[in-house]
Amino acid sequence: MDVLSVTRGPQVMIAYYVSDLITGLAAITATFLLAERFDGIGPWTRSEVLFLLGYALLVRALINTLFNWNLAHISRRIGRGQLDHLLVQPQPLWMALLTEGFAPATGSGMLLPGLGLLIWSIHQLGLTLSAGWYALLVVNLLASIATVLAFEYAWGSLAFWAPRASEEINSDTWRLLMQLAPFPLDGLSGPAVAALLTAVPIGLVAWYPSRALLGIGTASLPAEAFLLSAAIAFAAFAMWIFTRGLRRYGRTGSSRYLDYGHRR
Amino acid sequence: MQRFRTGHSSCAWSQRPVAVVPRAFAGYVKTAAMSAGEIGDSPLFLLEYALRLLRVLVLIALWRIILEGRPGSGPMPLASVLTYTVVAEVFAEQLAVRTTLSEAFWHGTLVMRFLRPMGLVRQLAAEMLGRWGVHLGLFSLPLFLVAPLLGVDPRPASPLAAVLFVLSLCLAILVGLAMEVLFGAAVVALEQPVWIIEYLRTAIATLMSGSLLPLAYYPWGLGDVFGWLPFAAMAWAPLAIFTGTGSAAMLLLSQTLWVIVLWPLADWLWRSNREKLVGYGG
Repeated sequence: MDVLSVTRGPQVMIAYYVSDLITGLAAITATFLLAERFDGIGPWTRSEVLFLLGYALLVRALINTLFNWNLAHISRRIGRGQLDHLLVQPQPLWMALLTEGFAPATGSGMLLPGLGLLIWSIHQLGLTLSAGWYALLVVNLLASIATVLAFEYAWGSLAFWAPRASEEINSDTWRLLMQLAPFPLDGLSGPAVAALLTAVPIGLVAWYPSRALLGIGTASLPAEAFLLSAAIAFAAFAMWIFTRGLRRYGRTGSSRYLDYGHRR
Repeated sequence: MQRFRTGHSSCAWSQRPVAVVPRAFAGYVKTAAMSAGEIGDSPLFLLEYALRLLRVLVLIALWRIILEGRPGSGPMPLASVLTYTVVAEVFAEQLAVRTTLSEAFWHGTLVMRFLRPMGLVRQLAAEMLGRWGVHLGLFSLPLFLVAPLLGVDPRPASPLAAVLFVLSLCLAILVGLAMEVLFGAAVVALEQPVWIIEYLRTAIATLMSGSLLPLAYYPWGLGDVFGWLPFAAMAWAPLAIFTGTGSAAMLLLSQTLWVIVLWPLADWLWRSNREKLVGYGG
């Protein structure tokens, strides 16, 4: 947890919280302003665009809150030789990866705005909510988070083979996903959309799940099935390449160690 | 004795090389060249190119959804908006100036730069120009040339617009460099983690500069307000001139004013906090 940041004084915690908040809001403001100006974007009404933005912000907020401290940017830990900090702990690696990144104080800046946008948009849309819909929302959020993390880990695993060159690869992959996630992709050609749902899963972060939840386009159930299948496929691939890299790391270790970015 | 184009005489081992580049600039040119060479250390810059290309494609598609079928819907026709979007990406690095100052703070190597026989801002600018050269050649120029294949006309609104764009871009770069020094000094003055300030600055500048969306399309008069800020002088001004939007004279005037205001301010703030660098970790 980020108790260290909290105990160091409110200034540090507030700085991280506010910067997270502003960064997240700025990421969605462009699409928000366009939707306000033109009363919607393509087939999306203004309220539906708000829902899309709230969903995108919530996915990002949950990852920042649960997988902070470079766990979502695993290439930094691997490239800097900091993976040993996890390997020497008396717990399985998967447990450390799932729990060490919990940062409720400094990483949750986008959480409230994301939830607020979702609730506001749902209210404006007048959606009939049921337990089943809430369950779908939770499943979709988990699938989106799994997809993002799988993409990050798949690319971040390159750092096992090229630690110095790939140390910051996850910064680029994160930017790739998060900068374009708040945009509706309806105007792109079929092959382009297919690519953004498979090879580079930008569409799976917010656009496709939002369409499924709001009932835009394809019927809900097949869309949910595709989303879940894609998340599982990405996760399986990421696990495969990560374990291969870990096996190599076990033989070669790390030739460099950099302590910055590590909690002290 | 014949002197070769390289500036060496035919009796090279007995003659001093003739300077091709004036001595005063030789160090900066070498710095730029070394910085350009560092890009090839890792192939990850290709991923950055992929991101930039994807962003252009998504934005072009977005604008087509929004503006097609709405001929009188705004201050800029669809063709101008598409040109704006492509040119914003072609000159993305020039419209959002970044040097290695943040990395130097992070690595704690800024103090070493003071040992070099060249001014800090000048060496940072030289490194920046070196990298720009590579990215302009490998990404910007190809994107500019393939823009017609994307259905976008990348040409400026008029020959005069092209000339004024060059002037405006130079002013934008000066404003951007001043902001870079200003924010660097702010990092030290506020004693905050460098990446917090960097992320904040990137987020706010992207929104307020008009590099992502033209300020003319911001609702509630926000574009008019943002147009007076220095961020708009970094991106909106040159792009608006390129696409023939707004008054070129007013835009150039605002950029000039910001150059005059920001550089002394940046210089004062930097000098006031230079002693803090050691405590900060530079």
